[in-house]
Amino acid sequence: MIYQLSVPGPIEDVEELRVLEWHGEAGRQFAKGEMIVELETHKAVVEVRAAQPGVLRRILCPPGEWQTLGRPLAIFSDSADESLPAPDESGAALAVDFEVT
Amino acid sequence: MRKVFFREAIARALREEMECDASVIVLGQDIGRYGGAYKEFAGLFDRFGPARVRDTPVAESSMVGLGVGAAAAGLRPLVAITYMDFLMLGLDALVNYAAKARYKTGGQLRVPMVVKTTAGARGQGVAHSQCIEAWAMSVPGLAVVAPSTPADAYGLLKTSLRHDGPVLFVDHKRLFPVPGNVPLEETSVPFGKANVLRSGNDATVVTHGYMCRVALEAAELLAASGASCEVVDLRSLAPLDVATVAASAARTGVLVTVEEGQSVCGVGTEVAFRVRDEVPALRVARVAAAPAPVSSNPVLEKACLPDALRVAETVRRLLS
Repeated sequence: MIYQLSVPGPIEDVEELRVLEWHGEAGRQFAKGEMIVELETHKAVVEVRAAQPGVLRRILCPPGEWQTLGRPLAIFSDSADESLPAPDESGAALAVDFEVT
Repeated sequence: MRKVFFREAIARALREEMECDASVIVLGQDIGRYGGAYKEFAGLFDRFGPARVRDTPVAESSMVGLGVGAAAAGLRPLVAITYMDFLMLGLDALVNYAAKARYKTGGQLRVPMVVKTTAGARGQGVAHSQCIEAWAMSVPGLAVVAPSTPADAYGLLKTSLRHDGPVLFVDHKRLFPVPGNVPLEETSVPFGKANVLRSGNDATVVTHGYMCRVALEAAELLAASGASCEVVDLRSLAPLDVATVAASAARTGVLVTVEEGQSVCGVGTEVAFRVRDEVPALRVARVAAAPAPVSSNPVLEKACLPDALRVAETVRRLLS
């Protein structure tokens, strides 16, 4: 199954944030609880962790790019060999936990 | 253009000016290693060291006084006052010394200093929320600027740091979360030049700082009901660009001023009077904070401050 990782929220005052660092490249398998990506707000870092296992397939926003809350950051799938959807076709939401530090 | 956080636009202007002018220094609370309350000074301490990026005690009166003396002696200090409410402690040095020195000494002493401070309400209560920029507008010899975007924060701070007299640079707590595009090339924004943020034909809304966002929201609401609003961002309160506002108001015939401070002797009162001198047949209204302290209770805070609905209702009232 295909999943979409979106910018989690709500985060107080924040509408748009910047990708700081991906913890892995396309092809990496994430276990539940592992950090996927760090996002930067005007004053804090948002740590986004997998709340379900999944394979990172395609990064849509590389470090330095901006994205608004609820909009997609990356495509995931259950297994590494599933075919990916067309770019504008979104999958189910990937379950994540996030913490503003 | 490159999209940056508001704080990064401020840090960039300071970094560029400190690189090219060794007399530019920064004084403030927690602006050194900590990088400032909003991280708007991040990186400066590491780049320029403790002699030029100086942490001060919590003593605003002394901080501004130190800045005035340093400027009179040949430096170009930026003094950071975390909340605008605390600027009151530094007004003696700013108003009686910085703004008067050139006149009093027949031009022998100049005080090229910037007092940067953060205005506005965001849940912090009666003495951490005020917008008192209108007080400063009436001081001869003092320039007052208030950016509404990262690009204007960058450009106005560049001009402020090169200005030959004291400048009050007013940003706003609610501007910091919002990123915006800033030119890649080095540039500046002149004082006394307002900016038309949105064109329209039925009414002119004039404002500054964070209230520009509220005015633009109101213009969207009004557009949905068929009224077209021009939104003018003053950017610079002293000197004031009356000509740009008057040209717009002469076309629309309706002027609504919006500010987060008080309307009594407020920015809008001054703007409206001066524009009416130029455009006699003008329908005018002011939108400002309620005549009450700003509570830390979010319901009362919201009730006190102008919002898009109040602005839109006021415009509609003048149009009907």
